[in-house]
Amino acid sequence: MVKPWEVAKHEYLKAVRRRSFVLATLGFPLLFAAIIGFSVLVATDGGDSQPVGYVDESGLLAASQPAAGTQAFADETSARAALDAGTVQGYYVLPPGYLSGEAPRLVYLTEAPSDDARRAFNRLVRSALLADQSPEVRQRLEAGLSVTMQSAEDGRELASDDFLSFLIPLFAGMFYVFAVLSSAGYLLQAMTTEKENRTVEVMATSLSPMQLITGKAAGLFAVAMTQLAIWGAAAVLALTIAAAATDLFRGVQIPWSLMGVVLIYFVPSFALVAGIMIALGGVVADLQQGQQIAGIVNLFFIMPFFLFAIILARPDSPLAIALTLFPTTAFLTVAMRWGVTTVPAWQMAVGLIGLVICAVVAIWVAARVFRIGMLSYGQRLSWQTVRRALRGRELAG
Amino acid sequence: MTTQSSTPTVQITGVRKSFGAVRAVDDVSFDVYPGEIFGMLGPNGAGKTTTIRLMLDIFRPDAGKVAVFGGPMEEEKKNRIGYMPEERGMYRDQKLESTLVYFARLKGMDEDEARDRLAGWLQRLDLYDHRQKRVQDLSKGMQQKAQIISTLVHEPDLIIIDEPFSGLDPVNTRLVKEIIEEQRQAGRTIIMSTHQMYQVEALCNRIVLIDKGRSVLYGAVDEIKRRFAGNAVLIEGEGDFTSVDGVLDAYQRNGAWHLPLAAGISPQEVLRSLASREDVHIERFEVAEASLDDIFVMVVQGETPDG
Repeated sequence: MVKPWEVAKHEYLKAVRRRSFVLATLGFPLLFAAIIGFSVLVATDGGDSQPVGYVDESGLLAASQPAAGTQAFADETSARAALDAGTVQGYYVLPPGYLSGEAPRLVYLTEAPSDDARRAFNRLVRSALLADQSPEVRQRLEAGLSVTMQSAEDGRELASDDFLSFLIPLFAGMFYVFAVLSSAGYLLQAMTTEKENRTVEVMATSLSPMQLITGKAAGLFAVAMTQLAIWGAAAVLALTIAAAATDLFRGVQIPWSLMGVVLIYFVPSFALVAGIMIALGGVVADLQQGQQIAGIVNLFFIMPFFLFAIILARPDSPLAIALTLFPTTAFLTVAMRWGVTTVPAWQMAVGLIGLVICAVVAIWVAARVFRIGMLSYGQRLSWQTVRRALRGRELAG
Repeated sequence: MTTQSSTPTVQITGVRKSFGAVRAVDDVSFDVYPGEIFGMLGPNGAGKTTTIRLMLDIFRPDAGKVAVFGGPMEEEKKNRIGYMPEERGMYRDQKLESTLVYFARLKGMDEDEARDRLAGWLQRLDLYDHRQKRVQDLSKGMQQKAQIISTLVHEPDLIIIDEPFSGLDPVNTRLVKEIIEEQRQAGRTIIMSTHQMYQVEALCNRIVLIDKGRSVLYGAVDEIKRRFAGNAVLIEGEGDFTSVDGVLDAYQRNGAWHLPLAAGISPQEVLRSLASREDVHIERFEVAEASLDDIFVMVVQGETPDG
């Protein structure tokens, strides 16, 4: 175990000292912080702090007290004067026929009143309309229909009106795929480095190909875990701070069950990508050639992003289910569907089993192709040689 | 010093290896014993590197048997082997010392011990002041010396060096020869593979000559030279000595012409032939000991002393 550990340590330290790793690892939390910060700023800064005025010609609000953020005017002339004087953001006019269907008007100068101001006036009107209802009914009607969806199969619950509940899994899925693919990129580099630096023979006479592959994959797995841990910690910290700062994030709950699913999918996903990249590193002549092919391979992992709108609009469609069952797209599709539907356990199980099988096959192929490929300096292996390697005819040891 | 009574460190018996239609190694056999320097000689592309790779289990032979330390190659035996491949390999963007420590660790060495031993080697080979430099910033000769350190630092029982002197200046070539001789005196088994036969003939105890994948000559250097004694002449003088009857080859070394002779041709016949020519002027003529280069030319042309 000492030799794979040495290789893992070597690869880990080499990768985390790379400028690209530092930039990506710190850049994402900074970007996340910037997005959260911007949201908090928008949510807390309602723009104009002036109230919104209203002129009630319908008599609906006669018995109501002006709510916070609103100001009553006796007629439109005085409201207009206040608007010109800049003491209100704008004003509503409830026409005499409002209750019989006549539309109200909103008057402003150049910029429409803020969302907060409009919400304050809406609340005032709704309260007046519901004045003869009991407080419980009023509260229900004002809150709207908030549904909690529950899967009869696994009991998982989902709130229908919490936009963050689908955004967070989506972001988690993105980060996950990015972490897997970037560490796969390092792995490809780690393989082609041996080839480009002509160190393969030194390696082959120091440890077995499987020890080398295991060490490299373990080191870069740790790199991916480090990256995910930093991103996860940054996300939790940012959400905690944001929840304390604004109502927008107050109801946010960390989807721990999804985090568990991430962990379950992570190892086989990484093993699958690792197997593909090791085999690719053995077949290609240099890193540049490898990266071109890796780009195509990566498409199979990020395909759900291109079908984002369809998956979210119809999360239980045959396409979404097919992508959940397909090994390379399984996790990202699950993450996308997580916030908008309850993914049946059987679909996740089938996707995961497929992923594990593919990962085992990929590692097997990688180990076979690796040794013969590694010694082919500066040239690409022919498919004939690869086929022979898979049949074990070119292999030693 | 050859101790053939002991168990061979390496035993190659009738190995064959083909790549597609090309037969790279064809029925090669030899043994290498502890405490000897064994030369694997032959021109570029003869099959020497493939034979080494078969020996080290990097390739598996199509036929024949390879035994290292008395049996098939196993993972535990790798720590007892130091191999300097023809394709020199070091991580170019890494620092010299950390690369050497990493390689030593992969040979099973403790890190502190590796650092201690490396310090001594780096000083001896004038690389100590360059140990914090990236490998790519070192000259080719320095990289070559670093590779030699990496091959020897874990004190292997079997040392295999492919083209040991390529890229080295005469001073460092001498230094490396000294180091190889020291390793032999320490009882280690050394296999040197090279196409520069004149570089190793004074060092090697025994050799195998490989040509086109086949072993064409195998035995102790002294014995082989005795067999081919008198089959070459050394000439100093003026004129063109490249087309002399009964001569297989003609090349200059240290200002003198070296002429290996065809089988059945005596030095006296060559002297008579040259004396009758007016376009050459001879200042010195002597029967020479055939060099390994000469012997190789004679053997591949079928001009053995018995032939």
